[in-house]
Amino acid sequence: MAKLILLWLKCVILYNAVGAVFEDQVGKFDWRQQYVGKVRFSHFDTHVQSSKKVLVATENNVFAALNTRTGELFWRHVDKSGPEGNIDALLHHGQDAILVVGNGRLLRSWDVNVGGLNWEIVLDSGSFQKACLVGQQGTVKNVAVLKKNIISLHYLSNGHQKWIENLPESETVDYQTVYSGGNGEVYALGIVPHSHVVIIAYSTDDGEIIKQVILFINDSIKKIHLLASCAVIGQGVLICVDSATPSLYMCDLHLDTHDLQMTQIPLSCLLLYYTELYPFFINLFSAETGRRLLDTTLIFVMDPNGGKPEKIYIQPFLKKDDSVGYRAMVQTEDHTLTFIQQPGRVMWTREEALSDVVTMEMVDLPLTGTQAELEGEFGKKADGLMSMVFKRLSSQLILLQAWIAHLWKLFYDARKPRSQVKNEVTIENLSRDEFNLQKMMVMVTASGKLFGIDSKTGSILWRHYLEDVPSNAAFKLMVQRTTAHFPHPPQCTLLIKDQDTGLTTLHVFNPIFGKKSHVNPPALPQPILQSFLLPLMDQDYAKVLLLVDDQYKVSAFPSTKNVLQQLQEMASSIFFYLVDSSQGRLSGYRLRTDLSTEQIWEVVIPMEIQRIVSVKGKRPNEHVHSQGRVMGDRSVLYKYLNPNLLAVVTESTDTHQERSFVGIILIDGVTGRIIHEAVQRKARGPVHVVHSENWVVYEYWSTKSRRNEFSVIELYEGMELYNSTVFSSLDRPHAPQVLQQSYIFPSAISTMEATLTEKGITSRHLLIGLPSGGILSLPKMFLDPRRPEIVSEQSREENLIPYAPELMIRTEWFINYNQSISRVRGIHTSPSGLESTCLVVAYGLDIYQTRVYPSKQFDVLKDDYDYMLISSVLLALFFATMISKRLAEVKLLNRAWR
Amino acid sequence: MHLWMLLMFLGWCFTEMEAGPGAAMSTQTNGDRFKIEGRAIVPGVKTQDWVSTARVLVDGEEHVGFLRTDGSFAVNDVPSGSYVVEVVTPTYRFDPVRVDITSKGKMRYARLVNYIKTSEVIRQPYPLQIRSSGPHSYFMKRETWGWTDFLMNPMVMMMVLPLLIIVLLPKVVNTNDPEMRKEMEQSMNMLNPNPELPDVSELMTKLFSGSKGSSKAGSSSKGTRPAAKRR
Repeated sequence: MAKLILLWLKCVILYNAVGAVFEDQVGKFDWRQQYVGKVRFSHFDTHVQSSKKVLVATENNVFAALNTRTGELFWRHVDKSGPEGNIDALLHHGQDAILVVGNGRLLRSWDVNVGGLNWEIVLDSGSFQKACLVGQQGTVKNVAVLKKNIISLHYLSNGHQKWIENLPESETVDYQTVYSGGNGEVYALGIVPHSHVVIIAYSTDDGEIIKQVILFINDSIKKIHLLASCAVIGQGVLICVDSATPSLYMCDLHLDTHDLQMTQIPLSCLLLYYTELYPFFINLFSAETGRRLLDTTLIFVMDPNGGKPEKIYIQPFLKKDDSVGYRAMVQTEDHTLTFIQQPGRVMWTREEALSDVVTMEMVDLPLTGTQAELEGEFGKKADGLMSMVFKRLSSQLILLQAWIAHLWKLFYDARKPRSQVKNEVTIENLSRDEFNLQKMMVMVTASGKLFGIDSKTGSILWRHYLEDVPSNAAFKLMVQRTTAHFPHPPQCTLLIKDQDTGLTTLHVFNPIFGKKSHVNPPALPQPILQSFLLPLMDQDYAKVLLLVDDQYKVSAFPSTKNVLQQLQEMASSIFFYLVDSSQGRLSGYRLRTDLSTEQIWEVVIPMEIQRIVSVKGKRPNEHVHSQGRVMGDRSVLYKYLNPNLLAVVTESTDTHQERSFVGIILIDGVTGRIIHEAVQRKARGPVHVVHSENWVVYEYWSTKSRRNEFSVIELYEGMELYNSTVFSSLDRPHAPQVLQQSYIFPSAISTMEATLTEKGITSRHLLIGLPSGGILSLPKMFLDPRRPEIVSEQSREENLIPYAPELMIRTEWFINYNQSISRVRGIHTSPSGLESTCLVVAYGLDIYQTRVYPSKQFDVLKDDYDYMLISSVLLALFFATMISKRLAEVKLLNRAWR
Repeated sequence: MHLWMLLMFLGWCFTEMEAGPGAAMSTQTNGDRFKIEGRAIVPGVKTQDWVSTARVLVDGEEHVGFLRTDGSFAVNDVPSGSYVVEVVTPTYRFDPVRVDITSKGKMRYARLVNYIKTSEVIRQPYPLQIRSSGPHSYFMKRETWGWTDFLMNPMVMMMVLPLLIIVLLPKVVNTNDPEMRKEMEQSMNMLNPNPELPDVSELMTKLFSGSKGSSKAGSSSKGTRPAAKRR
């Protein structure tokens, strides 16, 4: 027993330090950027003159307050994603902001200063139309909510309902907007298509109908949608815009019932206009006279890589000399928010497209000129001894020169005050660092905007907006050529697939500069089923991309003669698989020399019982250092390292908690041989899978015990290796040994990924994104099916942790400490030049970049290496020897005199 | 009798549990939705300072609630079933609580989360009173350097103890006693059986004294031996 406790202590001590962050490392190599998403509603907080807040409600169900001076967040509230958290309306009065959430299901009031909730109430069901604030004698006390068939009034202070009324003739009249002018009346405006407008006035006190007006309108605006193109402004003036015949319609709601009619004002231009050419203008018009206010024109130049302006929010204010000044927040098609001050100065921009990153890659930075020069020396052919020596000397000279220049810059910067020193990263001065820790993050967002972000600082180095990307597009990003092939520029290919039609376009670009490549991608007239990169390269070192269309014909990109020839030679060893989850069919194909294909296997999973949820292969850039594990008795258990292994996850179609199950099938992608099949009964998804080395880890929800569980499957060849030199799927007669173990995990998870290092020597960790916003770094050794239930001498020798059913979540293992990341959707891991270090980018609503050291920093001096101590000890020893030498001399002299 | 009572209680829990989610499925279509209420407290901290970063998560992100400015919360629109309710902030730690809502929505009770024995019930008050158990500890302590660490270092101990022995032993043992001296010399000879072998320390001093005083150092080191022997 004592031994067991000792062992546990040892474990605790051992794993305490693993994957932890030290306090002084905060912000050293990690950064976080917080986003809100595409803005749907926005209000400037104007109740205090000095207020710097702008409230935004977004399509990502986020409600936030931004600082108008810097664009940073004051606070942010992230609601449930999906229609239940959808924000329908945002009203703002004084310190309170009123939100209608979930298609009129909830009414919430927020305190703008603190960012806390005042109250929340549930509204009656019904499709939400519009909400407005209702005032009386200058003070706003109520809020009116208009739904499809009812109108209700609530107190602003506590949300209680004052009255609720059914709308008359709600079957025929389409009530669209509600308005109150502050005179004790609430107007509900409805429209009967192609006929007339209905205006009903309710009393604020008890909800009685005061008057009911039917307004007949002329033909031209019958099709107008009240919500989209009409607004009630000022003292009850209804204004409708008709963009077909550029004109405004006005109508005063307070006038006597008989006089009510729409007056038409022709306009030479609309309130906001912009020319198709950049730059872009804003003019202010007076609402009363329709005249343009002088000196209010604002001109600013749009980013040529961005989209067109879509929405504009104006914050007008009176200047000291009583003239009108304003600031404008412009939203463009690419979800960028730009805040502009008057003579066209851009205060800040927020790239809200980054709240919706779909996929990303990390690309090595190019070498600098001097580095490339040095590299080039080894690449060229030897031409005589003398010239080689000369070349060597000259390159050393260049290095010396660069070093002196660097020193000079350091010296020069040190003299300047700190605030003036700018270490801005630009595309020009980008270069790879010693350990390749700084990389270019190429991020693809759902809006179709591409970004290049420096991984060290998080600054956006380039952006490129792809126009006409379909809204339901699926993206796949591939690095065809890295920066390693110097004279050739690096090349990335983005595959954009319309999920409805299957039609695909390719965008080829340089990942370092973001520019579109001059290489013309092939036109793809057929829907594409599958795409993959081959390890083959063309004469320009670009990897070959194969695209399989729905006729099972294969096309290559680039498709030069050289490539086609290589393909013909290699064809018999190129296999690929297709997944048709709607039919429950997995099939394997082989390439023929004429680039047609033949089916070699097919696995059908019966659709009535289960459906394929995901298919996971291994990452192609993964290295495994050790072929086996050394056991306690010094024998070796060899890993089953099949690079073609696929993990297929299925879920039962029956969702009843007693009968639902989750299945996992391991299939060899070349031969179609089912290696292993496991079923977790009384379980359901969502299933998260990580497949790497010789193991598969998956997480599911156990309906029986109502908890999240992890399960790990490890595959071993056994005590001896069948063919140790090369792995071939076609020649493996023995089935692998399969070990499996399951654990309880005390939280739901959002996403999961494994760390990845250069050579695979470092132990692996699982990075788990939690809904709470933390990213847990869980050592893989906790998920090891060889964890023994009874501790033996051998298992201790092997350093196996005794089995415990529950995995712990320790906050020390959070790699992002208190920098929580909302709605983590993906974690991208990338190896660095250091074996100990793995670069991690987590993306969701926020983006977080950091480095992790799964086995601690064993190959570089640690951050806390005590240079002071070591140098002081050295110095002390040096002086001690000097002094003792002197003393010895004196002593000798004295003795000689004796 | 007592044991029997306990068994009864457990059995009842089981049936209750089984009924929960099953009923939830049927009520979901009916649209019966209930409310989970409670209050989160961080002792000694003003609520304004932390509520803007806090959220209430029910079963992961299945249902989300927000905290009012006084620390209380209500998660609306929750169908009946059994849920794990958790208050999440980046700074403070709150323990999760399991809340069971029966199909009628009337009987709600809260209990501590126990994932291993899922049927075990340790009752908690409802409406929930979730008290923070302190701030999250995200960081590892750096090993700081102190004098005690230095002194207790085994290497230092190994250095210091022999030094003490060398300094103190001659004082304790009377070196003037000729018999004693003879004995010591004998033992020294035992320790150094081969006088011809070059001394490591001698080599080092030669090396360190450098070229300047090499001859001097050499002569002086030679000189010490006879001097010592003469004594």
